[in-house]
Formats: sequence, structure tokens, C-alpha cells
Amino acid sequence: MNKRSFSMLMMATLLAASGSVVALGRNAHAFSPPKLSDGTPDFRGIWQAQTSAYLNIEGGARARKSVVVDPPDGKIPYLPEALKQRAKNYQNRATTDPADNCFQAGVPRTVFLPKPFQIVQSVGHLAIVYTDDHAYRMVLPSSIPHDDGIDFFMGDSRGHWEGNTLVVDVTDLGDQTWLDAAGNYHSDQLHVVERYTMLGPDTMKYEATMDDSMVYARRWTIRVLLYRDKTPGARIEEDECIDGEDGVWHHVSPTDPRALRRHDFKAELAQAAKSQ
Amino acid sequence: MLKISQFCRSAIGGAILAIVWFPAGRAGAQAPASPAPTVQAREDTSSIPRLPDGHPDLQGLWHNDSGYQAMMKNMRSGKGLAVALADFHAEGFPLPLPYLPEADKVREYRKLHDVYHDPEGHCHVPGVPRETEQPSSLMPFQIIQDEKYVVILYEYVHDVRIIPEDGSPHPKRYWAWDGDSRGHWEGDTFVVDVSNFNGRSWLDMEGNFVDENEHVVERYTMTSRDAIDYTALVEDPTVFIKPWTIHLTLKRNPAKDQIVYYDCHEGERDVQHYTQSEGNKANKHE
Repeated sequence: MNKRSFSMLMMATLLAASGSVVALGRNAHAFSPPKLSDGTPDFRGIWQAQTSAYLNIEGGARARKSVVVDPPDGKIPYLPEALKQRAKNYQNRATTDPADNCFQAGVPRTVFLPKPFQIVQSVGHLAIVYTDDHAYRMVLPSSIPHDDGIDFFMGDSRGHWEGNTLVVDVTDLGDQTWLDAAGNYHSDQLHVVERYTMLGPDTMKYEATMDDSMVYARRWTIRVLLYRDKTPGARIEEDECIDGEDGVWHHVSPTDPRALRRHDFKAELAQAAKSQ
Repeated sequence: MLKISQFCRSAIGGAILAIVWFPAGRAGAQAPASPAPTVQAREDTSSIPRLPDGHPDLQGLWHNDSGYQAMMKNMRSGKGLAVALADFHAEGFPLPLPYLPEADKVREYRKLHDVYHDPEGHCHVPGVPRETEQPSSLMPFQIIQDEKYVVILYEYVHDVRIIPEDGSPHPKRYWAWDGDSRGHWEGDTFVVDVSNFNGRSWLDMEGNFVDENEHVVERYTMTSRDAIDYTALVEDPTVFIKPWTIHLTLKRNPAKDQIVYYDCHEGERDVQHYTQSEGNKANKHE
């Protein structure tokens, strides 16, 4: 390959790369999503992120690429003390990740878990139902004030439409959730603004801006893509945890034969007689 | 700042939290109990809201008013708060249930010695119909509906049922706490067939239970803008001699009410509420 064709190739690559950034950014409103009967964009369906961000938002060894788009270096702008806490969290993550207790994963973590969620919508109503721990969020209109004073695992969500983008303001998040499995975290002062924009019939751009002056030096933003599950008959499966014999709770899929407990009244009564 | 997640670690805490909210949320529910609407009462269907597809519009925030009335009666009778909250059934719950002899012995043992293992005390989703009959008399549920689904979002344990209306069959190799729900319309009644249970659910804190062969047919019929007549036919040939039916009135919550998220975790603090005779193994080890 001579110098000229190499630089042409580089140019083409750069153009393609910048083009995709533009497609994710300013030009995203080009796609006009289907509408409900009142003209509201119709986001109904089962969606799932395909990203390794659930492992580590900032990317790294197993999680390849940071999903942080602002600041541009892809790093979460922690305050110095908070950075130390994050390091501690990372070190102890095998035992201290709240999600391992089968707690609801919080916002935005639940959105980019490798498990589908369903947007349920009708004129005047919008709810998001996640597979993980059967968490759900009612997205009430922004005209109804937040339920301030109480913290919730999934926060308190209020939504409005900016053109074809659903903007959700999330407050009342607690400090018992993390942002990923690598110990990235927030305090109970976290305020999240999410932006959902359909880029095509089966693709959705998801952006979330995190603001938490206890932990971060400035606001920061992540961006991931969500894809529609087009499998015929696809459904959100029940996701309950069962306390295992090891004393730890485990997610057990309802398709796993271990989920089923067949009755055996004779054995139960015999066991009962023994323990009396 | 009050931490609901901490306060709600125990079922009792959650129940008390719910009752604390009632004075604000239940203004419309203070009226004396009206008799359950009869089948004849639904003949005037003009006041029922409808979706563009013509089906009754079930959307909104609802609660089990029959259970609520039973609880209030309990409160008035001077029983303690904890008893009033926990130990009741709506009048439309046909006690005693028609158990087969061996299953009845299991029920009795669980009631007297093993209530520690009531899955609800361990924060599991209650199953069908317990989710509607028991905790929902304390806590409301939201219905969202379109031409393909009726979705029920329960405040209690953030339980959700997404019920398709596409005539699809129950899956194979699927065993869930809430089973698998498939709905269809019979005139103005939304009928839900529920199967695929995992055999772990209890029906109350009194040892009443079902096993993996449970099958439920629920019927939701709007009798007015603000009332739904609810029945659940429960059959389980390995537990009961014959099928039995729950009958409840669901009422719409006041417009300003909204779901308050409910968090529940395996309750290390709940363990202390159970005595050894109730089967609390944790106490036995102490």
C-alpha cells in the first residue's frame, strides 16, 4: 500500500467514524417513530442493550469501550475522595456489589444490563418493565412533582417529550445501588436525566446524564444503543431470586427445572413429624 | 431522609408504611362498605370507559376494596394493628378451602409450625390470586392497556404481569411464582387463564397453599367507571377436592394517588418476629 492510498483509507475511516458519531448525535431526530393515536411517539416493545457497559462503564479489560461520551476522555469525573471509594468498591466487588443481593439495580444500571426490558405505553401512560428483579418504573408526566423525601431503588421518574425524544428526570435514588459491576457508584444525591430517541424502527439511542455533587466534580453523560427484540412471541420472563443452600440468593430462571418444586405431601408430613 | 428501602425490609414494616399513607390516599375509600355488585348490576354499561377497540378501558389505579373493608372491620373490632393487617380475608374468600385430606394436614402443619416459610415473608412475589386478594387490599395496582396487552403493575413487591391477548398458548418448561397469564375478552369481561406455577406459593399467612398443579381463571368485569367485579376460579386437583372461587370488588383510587415503590429484601429483621414453634430455624440455631 502506498502512502497516498493509505492516507485515503485513513480519511475514509475517519469520515465513517465521524459519520457514525453524527448519526448518534445531532441527526438522530431524522427518524420519525410510529405514533400512538394522540401523536405521542410509540416506543412500545422489548428492548435490550448490547454493550459491555454493565461490567464497567469506563471500559477496560473485559468491558472493551467506555460508554462515557462526556467528558471526552471517557472517565467518570470523580472527586478525589470518591475515586478512592471507587477503588475500594472495585477491590471488594465480589462481596459488596448490591446487585448480588438481588437488589433492584437502579438507574441507569438496569437499562444496560444484558437482560431485556419492555416499554409499556398507551395514551397518557408509560411504564418500563425490566426483566432484572421484576423492577419497573412508572414514568409519570413532568407536570406531577417528584415524590421527594423518600429514596427508591429505581428512583422516581417524570417524563416529557422533546420532539421525538423521551426525556425522563429521575430523582429520589438511594445510595444502595451501583452503576456497574466494577464499583462505579453514586450517592443518594444522584440526579439522572435520561434521553430516549429512536434512530430507526428497531434501534434506540439511550443517553443518561449523571449529576451528584457529593461524588462527581461535574456532570457526565453515557450513551448506549438499545435494540428491539424481534423474536416472535418474545416476553419478559419472571426473574425471582431464591435463597440457595449456600445462604446466598440466586436468580433462578423460570425455565430452569430448579425453579419448579413438585409437591410431596408424604415427605413433608414425615419431615414435620420428625421435627416435632 | 427516610430510607424506604430500610424501613420496608420487613413485611410488617411495609404494611405499616402503607397504612400510614392511607389518610392522604384513601379519602374516597372512607365511605361505608357497599354490598358487592351483583352480576345484574353491570347491565348499564354506558358509564364504562372504552378504548378505541371497543373493549372496556381498565386503565387506572385500583385496590381490592373487599379486602380493605375486611381489614377496616378488623381494626374496628379492637384487634391489634399487626393482627388487623395480617390476619384477614375478604368476605369473598371461601374459607375453609376444600382440601384433600393429606393436603389439609400439610396446611395445618404449616399454619401451626411453619409460617416462617410463608414465601411472602421472604419477599417473594405472592402469586395468583394472592397478589390481588391479600396485599393489594393494602396497596394499589396500576393497569395499563393497549390492543395487545393488559399490564398489571402491583405496588406490592413491584410485581408485574404482562398479559398478552393474542390467543397464544402457555409455554412449555416454564415455572413461575406468578405462573403464565394469557388473556382474552368475553364480551366486556377480560378473562385471564393462569398456568405454569412453580409450586412454591402460599395463599395467606395461615398456611393455605397451592402446588404446581394450580390453574386459575380470573375474570375482570367493569361494573361502573370506578368498580371492577373480580372473580378467580382456583383449581388444583392434587390439593383441593373441587375448584373454588374468590369474589372481590376492586375500586378505583382517587385521581391524585400514585404507586409508591415498594422494596423488600430477605428480612433479617423479620426473623425475630417468628418464634421457634413457627418454624424459625434461625432461632433454633441460637
